[in-house]
Amino acid sequence: MKWLPLAWRNVRRNRRRSLITILLACTGTAALLLASGFALSTYEALREMSARQIGHVVVAHREYFHNDEDAPLSHGLGDSQTVMSDLLADPRVATVVPRLNYSGLISNGDSSAIFLGTGVDPEGEFRINGALTPVEQGRALSTHPAAQGDPEVMLARELARKLKAGVGDTLTLLTTTVDGALNGIDVQVVGIYGTGTPELDERALLTDVATAQRLLRTDKVSTLAVYLYDRDGAPAFAAERARAWPDRALRTWEDLASFYAKVRALYDRIFGVLGIIIVVMVFFAVTNTMSMSVTERTREIGTLAALGTSPGRIVANFATESGIIGLLGALAGMALAGGVTLLLHLFPVMMPPPPGRTEGYPLLFYFSPAVYGTVAVIIIAAAVLAALLAARRGVGKPIVEALSHV
Amino acid sequence: MDALIEMSGLSKHYRMGAVQVTALHDVELQVQRGGFVALCGPSGSGKSTLLNVCGLIDAHDRGRFLFEGREVKGQTPAQLTRWRRDAIGFVFQGFNLIPVMTAFENVEYPLLLNDTPAAQRRARVREMLERVGLAGQAGHRPDELSGGQRQRVAIARALIKAPLLVVADEPTANLDSATAAQVIDLMHALAQESGTTFLIATHDERMTRRCERVVHLVDGMLQPQAAQPPALSGVRAGGGR
Repeated sequence: MKWLPLAWRNVRRNRRRSLITILLACTGTAALLLASGFALSTYEALREMSARQIGHVVVAHREYFHNDEDAPLSHGLGDSQTVMSDLLADPRVATVVPRLNYSGLISNGDSSAIFLGTGVDPEGEFRINGALTPVEQGRALSTHPAAQGDPEVMLARELARKLKAGVGDTLTLLTTTVDGALNGIDVQVVGIYGTGTPELDERALLTDVATAQRLLRTDKVSTLAVYLYDRDGAPAFAAERARAWPDRALRTWEDLASFYAKVRALYDRIFGVLGIIIVVMVFFAVTNTMSMSVTERTREIGTLAALGTSPGRIVANFATESGIIGLLGALAGMALAGGVTLLLHLFPVMMPPPPGRTEGYPLLFYFSPAVYGTVAVIIIAAAVLAALLAARRGVGKPIVEALSHV
Repeated sequence: MDALIEMSGLSKHYRMGAVQVTALHDVELQVQRGGFVALCGPSGSGKSTLLNVCGLIDAHDRGRFLFEGREVKGQTPAQLTRWRRDAIGFVFQGFNLIPVMTAFENVEYPLLLNDTPAAQRRARVREMLERVGLAGQAGHRPDELSGGQRQRVAIARALIKAPLLVVADEPTANLDSATAAQVIDLMHALAQESGTTFLIATHDERMTRRCERVVHLVDGMLQPQAAQPPALSGVRAGGGR
């Protein structure tokens, strides 16, 4: 006879009560795993989206991130071609995409609206961000626009609606040049897209960098977005380049992804509190079960103590029983959470758009062996701790009193 | 033979609410090694309390108590636990077998606590079960055994570690007369064989008749014996030191 089989028999002694406690531990484990799986899945999706939209590392003029520009592109990068060539020579770099941010008025002749434009390199930009800027009508910007004809523009959904503009229409962009003069250019709408954000849908448009530079009368760009083969290498890459380029500013995607940081902070708190509540519930459920078990077995505890069993051994026996309950609950919970995760991969369920977004997203639960292991350890530890507390009260009773317990 | 239990001026009080109850008063008792001693007295006379004190599961308030020549007072709970584990066996009125263990495992349990090697454990348990006539019921759980069989398992459990002392609290009270007679015979025979000291709280006359000495307790005080037959030379009661 060993202690573990003895504990197992005691678990089976009151099967219904043990089963209910195991089910509670199972539910708690599954809830913890699904909640953390959802959070991790959200984090990963946001990380991927943010890194793609922003660039793994962003290179800019040294004042770009600190001070507002007095005039358009006063903090722009003037030597962008040289910097790009230098960056592309680095084996860690997959591609570099220039971006030029500008704003002004867009007019259809009858009405006008404020726009927030981005000049992009269509080839690189849509290769990386195509999935994030879904074209709803028409097509994306040409990678090699014709020399003749008006430059191309893509309008965000709500901006196009406001201007009653469709694919093929010609509109006029008006803005201030880098010298402070007014400049205008006719553009032809080639596509309408959704940004995923209602505010941006009302203002955003895309042109190629050359068109934006022509409009602003400059050869500068706002930033260079660097995409690495390894996203996680961004901090080291940025730090290394920052040392080499003291006159330029470098930021990683994580430095600039304020939405990701806020969502993560919010979810960490929500799921942290939820996790604590679940663990406390499991703890109290097991405490209740073990307390009942200890009370029912008070005479047995007295007998064991009289026979010379140390209080520590008696407590350890109860802790082992509780550990078995916790382990079975954790295993069942892991199987349940794993099953739900798998089912959602096979049969996706769409979630409604989150606040500030226009697109829904698939409900996915991230599977992480490390998280599964950690949650199992937490549940088992909570169960063992509950038993320790309950059993300590039992063994604290004088032996004679315990032996006369009815 | 030297004394296993020596009590002198031993008292024990309980508090029941505001009232202090004297369970044992100025007890003078010596029990020699190998004695087969009965404790008798009406309910509430202090038999069980004296038995519990002798079994080191209850503590006295005043007086002196030497077990194996060593002072009991002042021992830590851990030391008392080890002492019980090594030197004392218990037989309870209600058998107090562990319900999830088989008869074999119940008997084996004290050896498990003593870290006896597995092979030696198994051999001794088999031998003991054979001795108490339960070799065929080794794999039975307590709820599959009769009252007499359970008490025989309890006796086997008490004796398996060859203790110095077995304390038995009303071991025949829950048994029918035929079974009680068998249990009495068994205990007496095992006591003779093993040389273990038995201290038995009992109302059963058949049991007291088999004991070398009967110690009477009334209101927590040992009653002086008018005469002491030769068979009771192992016991002196009532302050006759």
